Amino acid sequence: MVELTVKDVALRLGDNEILKGVTVSVPAGQVVALLGPSGSGKTTLLRAIAGLETPYRGSIAIGERTFFDAARGIELPAEERGLGLVFQSYALWPHRTVFDNVAYGLKLRGVSAPEIKTRVEKTLSQIGLGHLAARFPHQLSGGQQQRVAIARALVYEPPVILLDEPLSNLDAKLREEARAWLRTLIVTLGLSAIHVTHDQVEAMAIADRIVLLDSGVIAQEGSPTGLYNEPTTMFSAEFMGSNNRIEGKLVENTGARATIELFGERLSGIGRTKTAIGEKATGIIRIERVRCASSPGPNRLKMQLKAPMYLGERWELVLARENMTVRAYASVPMDPGEYYVEFPSDALWVF
Amino acid sequence: MPIAVYRLLVLGLTTLAVAAPLSLVIYQSFLTAPFFDPSAKFGLLAYFFVFNDPDFWQAFWTTIAIAAGMAAIAVPLGALLAFLMVRTDVPGREYLEPLILIPIFVSAVVIAFGYVVAIGPVGIFSTLAKDILGFVPWNLYSLLALIVIAGLTHVPHVYLYSAAALRGLSSDLEEAARVSGANPFRVAFNVSLPMILPAILFAGVLVFFLGFELFGLPLVLGDPQDVLVLSTYLYKLTNKLGVPSYQLMAVVVVAIIAITAPLVFMQRLLLRQAQRYVSVRGKGLKTQPLRLHGWRWFAFGGIMFWLFITVVVPLFGITLRSFVVTWGEGVKLLDVLTLDHYRELTDYPNVIRGIINTLGIGVIGGAVAVACYTAIALAVHRWNSGWTRLVDYLVMVPRAMPGLVAGLALLWVFLFVPFLSPLKSTMVSIWLAYTIVWLAYGMRLVSGTLLQVGPELEEAARTAGANDLRVKRDVTVPLIKYGMLASWLLVFLIFVREYSTGIYLLGPGTEVIGSLLVSLWGTGAIDLVSALSVVNVVMIGVGLAVAVRLGVRLHG
Repeated sequence: MVELTVKDVALRLGDNEILKGVTVSVPAGQVVALLGPSGSGKTTLLRAIAGLETPYRGSIAIGERTFFDAARGIELPAEERGLGLVFQSYALWPHRTVFDNVAYGLKLRGVSAPEIKTRVEKTLSQIGLGHLAARFPHQLSGGQQQRVAIARALVYEPPVILLDEPLSNLDAKLREEARAWLRTLIVTLGLSAIHVTHDQVEAMAIADRIVLLDSGVIAQEGSPTGLYNEPTTMFSAEFMGSNNRIEGKLVENTGARATIELFGERLSGIGRTKTAIGEKATGIIRIERVRCASSPGPNRLKMQLKAPMYLGERWELVLARENMTVRAYASVPMDPGEYYVEFPSDALWVF
Repeated sequence: MPIAVYRLLVLGLTTLAVAAPLSLVIYQSFLTAPFFDPSAKFGLLAYFFVFNDPDFWQAFWTTIAIAAGMAAIAVPLGALLAFLMVRTDVPGREYLEPLILIPIFVSAVVIAFGYVVAIGPVGIFSTLAKDILGFVPWNLYSLLALIVIAGLTHVPHVYLYSAAALRGLSSDLEEAARVSGANPFRVAFNVSLPMILPAILFAGVLVFFLGFELFGLPLVLGDPQDVLVLSTYLYKLTNKLGVPSYQLMAVVVVAIIAITAPLVFMQRLLLRQAQRYVSVRGKGLKTQPLRLHGWRWFAFGGIMFWLFITVVVPLFGITLRSFVVTWGEGVKLLDVLTLDHYRELTDYPNVIRGIINTLGIGVIGGAVAVACYTAIALAVHRWNSGWTRLVDYLVMVPRAMPGLVAGLALLWVFLFVPFLSPLKSTMVSIWLAYTIVWLAYGMRLVSGTLLQVGPELEEAARTAGANDLRVKRDVTVPLIKYGMLASWLLVFLIFVREYSTGIYLLGPGTEVIGSLLVSLWGTGAIDLVSALSVVNVVMIGVGLAVAVRLGVRLHG
C-alpha cells in the first residue's frame, strides 16, 4: 500500500488564487476529510489531485509515482492516474445502464468480458444494488444513484478514492444513513479515501483525519477529537461546533492560560493569543459547555434570560447583558430572569 | 490518435475550406483577366471598371434602400409579433408559431414566383381585384412592392430574437404597468419592448445584413423593371461582356464582402450585448400572459392578416398555378384545371435528377454536414486555449459570403485546383458549397447542444481512465445524439430550400431544385417552375411537420 502526498500545491483559476500552498498526505488505509466553507478550495484541491485542474506550483505523487510536479514539468493526464472520483452530482452517464456505468473503467483497462461481469456484479452486491444492474440512472432514487457512483469509482480498485461532497445531494435523514454506510464500506474494504465536505459533523463521523481549509491554506489538521477539542486558530474554533463569541479586554496572559475582562469581571480560559495585555481579545466557547447557575462564582457572568426556545430534545436559552448575547442549552425549561452564566475555564479559548 | 493530431487536422481542414475560396476571390479581383487566362496580370483594372460602371452604383444604392426599407418594416412588426406571441393571451399561440416561421424555411424564389402568379399584372388575385374594382390597386413590379415584400417575409427573423429575449423577462414588470393603468399596447411600447431593445437592435442589423444577401426576390420581382441589386448585378455580369469576366465578378464579390463582413462582426458584438442585458433568467421566472381582453381577437386578426399576405398569398398562388393550364383575365378555373405540369416534370431528365439530388443533398448531405460541424465543435469543446477564439471567427467568415457569392468562389476553387476539377460536376461540389455557406448556422446548432453536456460527465470518464478522444466517443457524442438528430433535420430543411449557392455550380449532374428553378424561370417555363416549386414546398412541409412532431426547436 502506498501513500498519497500533496506538497505545497498552489493553484489559480483566472485571477483568483484558490490554493496558496497546501501540503497533505494520505497514508494507505486512512480516510482524510477536506473540510472547509465554500470557497476554501477543498473541491479544487480534490480536482487537482484527480488531474482535472492544473496547479502552478507544488507536486502530487502516490508512492514513487509522480502525478504532478511543477518544478520538473510533469503532469500526468487524469486518465492515467488511476484514481476513483465520486462527483457531487454523481455524474452517472444517462445513456448507460447501471452495469455499463460501473463496467466502463474495467473496459478501458482491457479486462475480459466474463471477468468484467464477475467484478461488476461483486461490486454492485457489495453496495447492495445487485438487482438493479439493468436499470438506467434516471430510474434510480438519489441514494441509489449515489451508491452506483461510488461503485463506479471502486470497481477498478484505485489506490485512493476521491469523494466530492458525495452526500450533499441527499436529504437530511438519508444523509445520516448514507454516512454510516459509507464509513462501514470504506473500513471493511480497507480503502484510502479523501472526502470533501463542508459539513463538520460528516467530516468527524467519516474521517480518521480532518484537514480544515480556510481560503486556500490549511487552518488546522488532525484527528476529529483534536480538531473539535483543541482548536489552535480562531477559524477552526469557530468553524467546528456551535459557538459563543465573547469580546473582552486581555488582562492576563501566561501563554497556556489567558484571562479577559468584561463588565468588570474576569473570565479565564485556555491561552491561544499573542495579543498584548490591554488589547481586545475574543473568547470562544461551545454552546453545550455553557452552564447556567443561580449564584455567583468563578468564571461566571450575571445575565438576563429571555424566552427559552423548545428544540425537542432540549431547550435553547438566549441570555443577554447590554449588547452581548450568549446561547446555552438546558435539559429542563427555565424561567426568564437573572442567572449567573458559567464559562468553564477548560472550555473557553481566548484568541 | 492523440487529441492534438485530431485538433490540428480538423482546424487545418476548416481553415482551408474557409480561406481557399475567399483568398481565390481576392486574388482574382486583382487580375486583369480570368485566372486561367495566360495573359492575366496583376492590376487594378477590374476595380476601375466596376467602380466606373453607373449600373454598379445604381445597384449599390438600391441595395442600401431595400435593406434599410425592409429593416424599417420587419423590425417593428417582428417585435410586436413577438410581444403578442410571448407575453399575451392571443388565441391559438401554440399553433401559430410554426406557421409564423414558414417564410424562413420556404425558398425566397418560390415566394417570389408565388407573388408573381398571385398578384402580378395578370395574377390570380389581380384579376379578381380587377373584376370587382375595375382596376388593380397594386403594382408588384415596383421598388416599393419589393421592399414591402422583403420586409414582410423577414418579420420572422426579428420575431425569433425578440421572442427569445422576451421569454427572459419577468412578467411582474408588465403587470405593474398594467395595474398603473396602461393598456396592453402601451405596456408593449413602454415596458416590454424597451427592455429588449438590444435584442431588437441585433435583429435590425441582421435584417439589414440579410438585405445584402437578398437574391431571389430582386431577381424575380426587380427584373421586369430593371431594378438591380448587388447580387443580381453580379448575376447579370456573367453575361454582360459575353466572355467570362471573372475579374469583374471578383471585384463585386469583394465589394459585397466589404459591406457584409463588418455587419457580421457587428452582429456578434450586439448579440453578446443583448445576452448580457437580460439579467433575469432560468428558474422561478413568472411568465403569466398579459390578458388582452377585447384586444385579443383584434391582435389575432392582425397576425392572420400578416400570415395571409406573407404565406397564404404566394403559396396559394404558386400551388393553384401549378394545377392550371393558363391564367389570365376571363379564365374560368374549372375549365383550366390540369395535372399535366406534374406529368411534364418527368419528361425532363434534369428535373428528375434535380429532385433526387435535392433529396440526397438534404438527407445524406445534411447528415454528413452535421457530422463535419460536430467534428469541428468537438475539436474545440473543452479546449482551454486561445485557438478556440480563432475557430469562432473562422466559422463566421462564410457568413459574410452570400450563397451566390460562395457558390461562385467554390466554382473557382474547383476550376483552379487541378485534382479537384473532376469533382466539379458532381454533387460533392454542391455539398461542399452548402456545408461552407451554412457553417456558422450548423456550428451554432451543434455547439448549443454541446453546451448542455455537464462537464462532470466527461470528467468522470477521464478519471475512470479514458483519454480525450475516448471520452468524446463514449460519453460526449452519445449524449448529444438527439441534438445532432435535431440539427440534421434543420440542416435538411435549409439544404432543400437553398437556391442561390448552387446557381454557378449548376450543370449536368449537379442539378438541385433551387438552382433549377432560377434557371428555368429565366427561360419562361412558368408551368414547370410552379410544379417544381410545389414539389419543393411539399418537401419542406414534410420536414417541418416531422420537426414539429418530434418537438425540435425550429430556431437553433
